[in-house]
Amino acid sequence: MSGSNVWTRNREKMRNFTEIFSKCADEAAAYGKCVAATTAGRQELQKDLCAKEFEALKNCFVKAVSVKNLPAGLDGSS
Amino acid sequence: MDRNRLSMLILRGMSGSMNVFNRQMKRRQKNWAASLQDGQQYDYLRDEVGSRVADRVYDIARTFPLALDIGAGKSHISRHLSEEVVERLLLTDVSQQALKRRCQTPIPTRCVLADEEFLPFQENSFDLVVSSLSLHWINDLPGTLKQIHQVLKPDGVFIGAMVGGETLYELRCSLQLAETEREGGFSPHVSPFTAVTDLGNLLGQAGFNMLTVDIDDVQVLYPGIMEVMMDLQGMGESNCAWNRRTLLHRDTMLAAAAVYKEMYGSEDGAVPATFEILYMIGWKPHESQAKPAKRGSATASFGDLSRISRPTRDNNP
Repeated sequence: MSGSNVWTRNREKMRNFTEIFSKCADEAAAYGKCVAATTAGRQELQKDLCAKEFEALKNCFVKAVSVKNLPAGLDGSS
Repeated sequence: MDRNRLSMLILRGMSGSMNVFNRQMKRRQKNWAASLQDGQQYDYLRDEVGSRVADRVYDIARTFPLALDIGAGKSHISRHLSEEVVERLLLTDVSQQALKRRCQTPIPTRCVLADEEFLPFQENSFDLVVSSLSLHWINDLPGTLKQIHQVLKPDGVFIGAMVGGETLYELRCSLQLAETEREGGFSPHVSPFTAVTDLGNLLGQAGFNMLTVDIDDVQVLYPGIMEVMMDLQGMGESNCAWNRRTLLHRDTMLAAAAVYKEMYGSEDGAVPATFEILYMIGWKPHESQAKPAKRGSATASFGDLSRISRPTRDNNP
């Protein structure tokens, strides 16, 4: 592959996904429980049924990504 | 959206023009996966299944002068076989890059670049046909099984392994639930698999005798949904069905990761992916093979069975 391009940059982001995702374990668990509850309960899964939990998860994720992308020293670590 | 292969056959009226998978795309994906710099790290599943197929070949106490490996890839079966069991081996695959990188084996081997659905071989030429983890991308599986039956010599045997049934159900369900919640609908991301109950019918219709079908569940643990998908891509197992959606939204991926972990993850954070491997053995008919007994030739009656369980009063030595 020739140098850095959209494909290689996206692969890099995908590789970091799990590490960043682990920082939002609580929000992820809340969203997961909300969706999983529909498989057992009588309520059918519809669009945006768990929108609140997903917003919390997405905000946490975006924040974790921006913290990771800060130059060294500015994210609170020395 | 998880219709099994047989119901799709019925939907299309059992015509010969079943077209579920884009075979050109599959060839490109396999070539890409084989050309990866560190491609060996994705070979674990194929190696494991290849060794189990080789076990089944050893179980048959015969030497096979000429064997064919269909969809051989980097030839994961032959590395576990020896020249005493297979004297000469032919490998076919759609992917030239994979065949170029085949593993070394003492068995004299030749390679043929061919599509599994159009075998370029004469009838009655092979003593053994093996196939490991490639039949699940075939469009016309009944037709391919018939072709395998044709190229086998009478009293030849076909030993195959394919993913089927509930393979990757965790991935399928997570994506389905996440897509429904985030986008209001879902499309199939995991290709349709053959159910184990249909496999016996398919083999019988192709003309095979003395069928053996068994299932093996292989569960592999991954850090998360991304690693599952990246490993599948590295194995050359990306989806290539015509009805696949080429786009997966970032939000849906995030949602699916959360659902996967919550529904199937373990305490240490790892998530499992299940591969249900179906092994099949079928023989081409020959006079020497045992046949069902003729009607009316019974020498004992089922009624005698009840007398076996009752204890006898007199002392029999």
